[in-house]
Amino acid sequence: MVVSSFTPQKVLQVDGYSLWPRALTTEAYVWALRGTQVLTGYQVTIAVTFLGTFLSVAIMSGAAYALSNKRFKFRNPLGFYFYFTMLFGGGLIPWYITCRMLGLYDNIWALIVPSLVNPWWIFVIRNYFNSLPIEVLESARIDGASDLQILTRVVLPLSTPVLATAALFVAVGYWNDWWLGTILLDFAPFRPLPVLILRIMNSTRAINEAMLAKGAGITIDMSQIPTLSVRMATAVITIGPIILLYPFVQRYFIKGLTLGAIKG
Amino acid sequence: MAEEEPCDSNIERPAGHRCVKYTSKPGQESVDTSIASGVHLLQKVRKLAGPLHLQNGEMMKAKEVHSLAIPLQIPRQVGRKRSAFAEGLRNILDNRLVIILALPAILLVFALAYIPMFGIAVAFEDYKAATGFLSQWVGLRNFELLLTSPVLGRLVRNTIFLNTLFITAGTVFGVGMALLLNEIGNRIFRRVTQSIMFLPFFMSWAIVSLLVSAFLDYYSGVVSMASRNLGFEPISFYEEPAVWPFVFVILRIWRDTGSGSILYLAVLASIDPQLYEAAAIDGASRLQRMRLISLPLLVPTIILLTLLAIGRIFYGDFGMIYTVISNNAAVYETTDIIETYIIRAIQSTTNFGISIAVGLTQSVLGFICVFGSNWIVKKWSQRRGEDYSLF
Repeated sequence: MVVSSFTPQKVLQVDGYSLWPRALTTEAYVWALRGTQVLTGYQVTIAVTFLGTFLSVAIMSGAAYALSNKRFKFRNPLGFYFYFTMLFGGGLIPWYITCRMLGLYDNIWALIVPSLVNPWWIFVIRNYFNSLPIEVLESARIDGASDLQILTRVVLPLSTPVLATAALFVAVGYWNDWWLGTILLDFAPFRPLPVLILRIMNSTRAINEAMLAKGAGITIDMSQIPTLSVRMATAVITIGPIILLYPFVQRYFIKGLTLGAIKG
Repeated sequence: MAEEEPCDSNIERPAGHRCVKYTSKPGQESVDTSIASGVHLLQKVRKLAGPLHLQNGEMMKAKEVHSLAIPLQIPRQVGRKRSAFAEGLRNILDNRLVIILALPAILLVFALAYIPMFGIAVAFEDYKAATGFLSQWVGLRNFELLLTSPVLGRLVRNTIFLNTLFITAGTVFGVGMALLLNEIGNRIFRRVTQSIMFLPFFMSWAIVSLLVSAFLDYYSGVVSMASRNLGFEPISFYEEPAVWPFVFVILRIWRDTGSGSILYLAVLASIDPQLYEAAAIDGASRLQRMRLISLPLLVPTIILLTLLAIGRIFYGDFGMIYTVISNNAAVYETTDIIETYIIRAIQSTTNFGISIAVGLTQSVLGFICVFGSNWIVKKWSQRRGEDYSLF
């Protein structure tokens, strides 16, 4: 994929994919980044990932704090309130209708808000909060700290491992998300990168099928179709940051996978 | 009774609180008891058999300390007893900041998870966008439409069939990979292998579908090119329903083997190495040790994970199927699952009634399955003296 994104379109058409192309070019990248779509897509994806991850972790740790607070008598009912949504849901269509009713449609919030809260991560974070020594929290309280101060000054700094893991998974989720962009964006002028890739691919496939069905008789403006190497370039742009960051953060990834596998 | 003294620490205390100094034995260092440590005092007194020796030489019975410590700890409870309701209200008021911290999550979950549950009503309505959840009530008409349409059988069959394939392949490859990785002695090599295997798990399905088309595209796909070079007529994969279950299974294996093996690896790491050493001394080969020690010890985990996976058998992997297949009607015969059908209905607003009915059917069947499998896991693991159930 990386190689073909650097291969000139003509070579690709004649030779197909190969590991060692005859010629290299950065044409596809220049083309992809000059086109406003890909550039906007990149900006949208970056904005959504950063904003979404920050809000998500902040909101979920707030909920996790309430669930781990021994002074709060209703923490178990509240836990069930979150937990029940993991067991039963209204289904896709009522969810879609609700999103539209709430105005989560054709705007940037539609890409962020629906995946802000994940009960699973709330419970993972709560379990970590529960494992903190209660004496530390109590002494902060005696020194006159409010709950907000305890959370931001004591609990959160002590919980960086679990917060980093959660943030990483949430961020990857936002970065890779194709679902919200497919279903909740219709007329918006922007698309996140994964949705762009899907759209480009589907339109090319539809054209291929049309050509297959009608033979070579029909004429299609080929300049409108992004070339194969541009598609690959878009994919490389999308996947690049994950591949580059992966070696540095992979222990958090593995930790997250283990957390995800055992009982919460 | 103990003599009240001024508290000597510099913590500010509300008016009306008393401080007392005590030791458990005469001559020992005294401890300043205040609001905060009232709890500790109580705990200490409960452990003490004898009375407390106060600094001024007096003795104090446990009962007396109780009467002292409780008012110190929670002054509000002195006096008349409150009703449970008032207690609850009091607790909520006391913890209002905690609730405010949790409020964003509470509201979001309510809006995006609980409101849609009420939206289930649309399964019994003739849905119109203008009237939303309160459209005209039509009773079971949507379900009659569903039962008479040929689509239900296909959707349920595909969803269950594909999931069965995924569960089987996932278990076999996850366990196999865990067994192989467990035999690797070189730590660095093992870590690198693991990391590389995890990587696909974090790739977007959009990218994966692009890669799939790079392989299977009729004109430029690697497979087509290869078969042309070998002199065969290439297969038009995107029009051939029969190949897709295989493609999906391969994709799932590629993506999930790494992450699927991680729990099995954790179990294998906890096996006592003496077992392997003893077997080796008795002349067991590496293969025999894998088959006769590792595998049997993995069986409980395998059963557990399979049961939990079966619980979710009505929920298809629409991330993979929708992105890879999209709206390609030529291969619906083997690839159309409940979710993809519903997504199409949302996008085209045709067959809305039927898909709403399909959605509710899936929710209910799914709920029963999740609950049922969890119940079985609970019973089964409790008999083994453990509890692996999710709830």
